[in-house]
Amino acid sequence: MLGNLLATAVEYTVQALELFLVVYLLYRGLWKRHAGVLVYLLSLLAVDEVVRRYFFHRYGLNSLAYAYSYWLTDVLLALEAFGLICIFFRRACVPQLWRVLRLSLIVVFILVAAISYLSLSHHKDNLLHSFIYEFEQNLFFTCVLLNTLLYIMLHQMGSADEQLALLVCGMGIQFAGPTAGLALVHLTVGGQLAYLLLHHIAPLCTLGMLLIWTYAVRRFTTVQEPTYRASGHRGTVPALAGAGLHGD
Amino acid sequence: MSHMFRLDMIMAILSVILGPALLMFYFLDTCKRILRREFGHEFFHSVVNANRLEFPFVRKALEEFNAPVDYERFRMQLKCDFLALTYLLKNAGNAKGRLSKEERFLTWYFNAVVLKLIITHWLRLSERAAVLRLTSILEYFANVLGERVDTIRFGDMTASDYLMSL
Repeated sequence: MLGNLLATAVEYTVQALELFLVVYLLYRGLWKRHAGVLVYLLSLLAVDEVVRRYFFHRYGLNSLAYAYSYWLTDVLLALEAFGLICIFFRRACVPQLWRVLRLSLIVVFILVAAISYLSLSHHKDNLLHSFIYEFEQNLFFTCVLLNTLLYIMLHQMGSADEQLALLVCGMGIQFAGPTAGLALVHLTVGGQLAYLLLHHIAPLCTLGMLLIWTYAVRRFTTVQEPTYRASGHRGTVPALAGAGLHGD
Repeated sequence: MSHMFRLDMIMAILSVILGPALLMFYFLDTCKRILRREFGHEFFHSVVNANRLEFPFVRKALEEFNAPVDYERFRMQLKCDFLALTYLLKNAGNAKGRLSKEERFLTWYFNAVVLKLIITHWLRLSERAAVLRLTSILEYFANVLGERVDTIRFGDMTASDYLMSL
């Protein structure tokens, strides 16, 4: 009962944060700089609010149609995230390096997309058995690896783009948790505990990613210099004097 | 077929091991990046003086005097500083009366590092890094608080003037 309540609370928080970030990016005119992030967020919203909700209400939670829609949209989102990581690579690289990396990333992306399509169409009759867990686990693992490569590259280059580093960290959290959960389901051949773990970990990781992205987007766009008083900095600030006085 | 099966298993085991490790890694790195935020001024001194916080002395003892870690004492001092600072962050010049998202995130991090400190103490490993990490989190909190208090223009206002102006 409490678990369900918490899961619902996390789900609504995730949706509220997605909506907030989309509105924030549009309202502050940041959508050009964060076009990839915006598209990914819009897709998350569309999948959660439109596609899955439609199938849920029309066919019910235990229907085959809902299960198909759930897993296929999950694969689409993972592929989109893969594309987003490529966009992050573009932002991290100097033009010379990007020219070298671009082709490899495009080839890897096409390969992953093609393998995904072939695997899914090959197993379309038994999609909902253990195959989908194994498939998603491999797809997520590829995303985590690519993301980690990007992180290492940023570290090696001594990149000063803190916002990008935080966006990359968020993406890492989004995929690292579910990868382990899916692998556990695969290893335990659908163990109940593994299912339960995956059911709770995936939304929590999405929540973690959204919190980090919100922080990254807001911190590096709304940083304001503190206004100092003409008399300069106070010697000893009576911090407790502020306690209880409300107002920033 | 058995090769494929073995490869699947290897991938799954790798994912189970690397997944949580990477999850923890990204979480810790995010916390470190938040802590790395630069403030326009070292605001924490004034907050430390006004509230008699002890974390700078703990850090000084470890960094400058290379003192051994007095586990019980340091843990108590840092915990008290943490409670004082989180209380002030919630209530000092804060219209919402609650911690912001990143502050809450860092309180989780603080508790995670305290857990690490307890484990390292229990395993008789060096606790130095964990204690220093705790002091840097507290310094961040003190800086945020100092910056916030500094931006409030009290001027010659009395408490009632200030409240009336809200």
